[in-house]
Amino acid sequence: MAEQLSLELAHAGVVVVSGLALGIDAAAHRGALNGGGVTVAVMGTGVDVIYPTAHVVLAEAILAAGGALVSQFPDGTAPRRHNFPARNYTMAALCDAVVVVEAAEGSGALITADAALDLHKEVMAVPGSVFSPLSVGTHALIRDGAGLVQNARDVLAAIGAGGEVLDDPLRAPKSFGIGLLRERDGILSHLSDVLALSAAEIARKLQLPIAEVLGRLTALELEGAISRHKDGYVRALRRGKERA
Amino acid sequence: MLAGLEVRRVRVEADIGRGEVAFHLVGLATTTVKEARERVRSAIRNSGLEFPQARLTVNLAPAELRKEGSGLDLPIAVAIALARADKRPPPKTAFIGELALDGSVHHVDGVLVAARGLRTLDYERIFVAAEDAAEAALVDGLDVFACGSLVAVVNHIIGSEPIARFDRGPTYPTDPAATEDDLAHVHGQEEAKRALEVAAAGGHHVLLSGPPGAGKTMLARCLPGILPPLELHEALELAQVRSLLGELPRGRPLDWSRPFRAPHHSVSTAGLIGGGSGLALPGDVSRAHCGVLFLDEMAEFQTPVLQALRQPLEGGRVTITRSGGSVSYPARFTLVAATNPCPCGWATDTVRACRCSPAAIDTYQRRLSGPLLDRIDLQVGVHRVPLETLSTHGEAESSNEVRRRVVAARLRQLERQGCLNAQLKPARLRQVATMPQRSRRTLERWAAQRGMTARGFHRAWRVACTAADLDHSPEIEERHVLEALGFRLQDAAA
Repeated sequence: MAEQLSLELAHAGVVVVSGLALGIDAAAHRGALNGGGVTVAVMGTGVDVIYPTAHVVLAEAILAAGGALVSQFPDGTAPRRHNFPARNYTMAALCDAVVVVEAAEGSGALITADAALDLHKEVMAVPGSVFSPLSVGTHALIRDGAGLVQNARDVLAAIGAGGEVLDDPLRAPKSFGIGLLRERDGILSHLSDVLALSAAEIARKLQLPIAEVLGRLTALELEGAISRHKDGYVRALRRGKERA
Repeated sequence: MLAGLEVRRVRVEADIGRGEVAFHLVGLATTTVKEARERVRSAIRNSGLEFPQARLTVNLAPAELRKEGSGLDLPIAVAIALARADKRPPPKTAFIGELALDGSVHHVDGVLVAARGLRTLDYERIFVAAEDAAEAALVDGLDVFACGSLVAVVNHIIGSEPIARFDRGPTYPTDPAATEDDLAHVHGQEEAKRALEVAAAGGHHVLLSGPPGAGKTMLARCLPGILPPLELHEALELAQVRSLLGELPRGRPLDWSRPFRAPHHSVSTAGLIGGGSGLALPGDVSRAHCGVLFLDEMAEFQTPVLQALRQPLEGGRVTITRSGGSVSYPARFTLVAATNPCPCGWATDTVRACRCSPAAIDTYQRRLSGPLLDRIDLQVGVHRVPLETLSTHGEAESSNEVRRRVVAARLRQLERQGCLNAQLKPARLRQVATMPQRSRRTLERWAAQRGMTARGFHRAWRVACTAADLDHSPEIEERHVLEALGFRLQDAAA
């Protein structure tokens, strides 16, 4: 969700600000880069200390795309637990609006949201399943009056920005070119953008032998129509450059 | 005497000379052999034989070889008794057994290995303890004499009361015992089941990744049931390993079912690979020879232990060097590794939330990465089966049906190339498993897209070859390549 949202916002010309951390942060940066946009990473360490180290490549990609790494801490500052809330405050200060995609109780994202309220910035949240502990924080925000985000349009409307938005992600993709033409029995129609489905489940739904389903899934993957994750298959994100 | 699976012949000579009354045992004997002096003396006396009251020298030749084990008790006692009776031992005859103080002959480990080694050294007769006779009789062309006591052996040799040759009876394979672990009892999990079928057919290793309770252990336990029963030479190799460890069941030593070993994740390198002081004994990898080695919670194993698996995974053998020398044991097993996606196990679950920090997940998964994972051909996600599937779906395909396909596919491979697909070296692979243009292009396209290593490329090729064999297809078609690539969870997006 964070990646798709970020991709579409970046495509519409919005600068995406996030914190270069693992998870949602990285997804947001990656989405913005894929959307051909500019993204800013606000760091809780010195700008010369990439944390986590796994994100060195991501940081370089951000710079290469014309984005920025910014930090309020002097060079060489190592990651310290108490520095990150202050970083979150800075992040809120830099933005027009804060979108919380996932937040468990006591999550750092809620600190950012609080800061945004103090600074009279727009606060928005993405709802999730009522059973998911990772949506407890976002639901609390919405209950307290945060704007509800279902797609990029909601965010653009809130910050009063125009720009072209990609297709509504809730609608089925229009075309995958050759990948879709070969697709007669509708593996794609069983796949979702968000919830991963295992090959076994797809085989069961289509009543096809597993060997064949695995082969077809790989073929679709080769075409870039779907992507494989540790927990199963999802429809691939549409990339900005493929639309152009 | 044994050094691993190798047999070292020890010649025992006894000499009764003049001089003060003494019993000298020479020839680099270790403690267990030195103790034989006391056992032998008592055994001879209590058997009603006379222990020479003179200067007795027993020599164990060759002198430079360290002698170990209680199996030398019997030959020493026989040598002394024959020297006393002034008789020569019969030619091409070997004796193995431990003596009790009352003169009865008892079990020693490794009799099967010794018997096979003696056969290659052109021995014709072997005397062993009664309980070891069935084990020794597995070797063709060797007359086995089961001896209850020392005096029976001596009487046999001097000709007063011969022992009948041990009749081993028929040793044809029995039907594999019906196990409780049948694929028919596994609901859903088609992806993992198919992976097991391909693994069984081509000898590939499997990684099952999924949350706790998804059925990883149950799936792994089903693998031996879809493999064909052991071949005679395989059963003998495995029996040798078990013989060395003293794990062969008495009376019915040859077991035709495929072994299944599941060492706990706290296992040491010596326990898994083999080890011990002096000369190394076989470990779990050799106990799983021709069968299945199941490593549950693979990320919890110590890194050096996992690294030590690389040699057997590649070569099907382990060579271990200890102070007493180097020994080599067979270890061609199918590895089934299971892992959770994160320390708490719920990272990829759709309902339960994962409680691990991203850094913890990263560390956990990194323990598995690298050279070891690169050697596992089939990597699949195992997902929790929705409860409604558990209750509504009827019986799935049984292990027997799957085994029929597996046997057919293995036969195709053995006829074509003499080994299973997983054991094909890249050069041989190019030779015997040619791919039509279309299949090759698909594989190359994927390799380029995912940054696959050359090793990964060949591994996917081998799996595709197995998929084609299961399909009775003379060549590797595109769908086989695509299926093989479907088993590469390691290429999944982060």
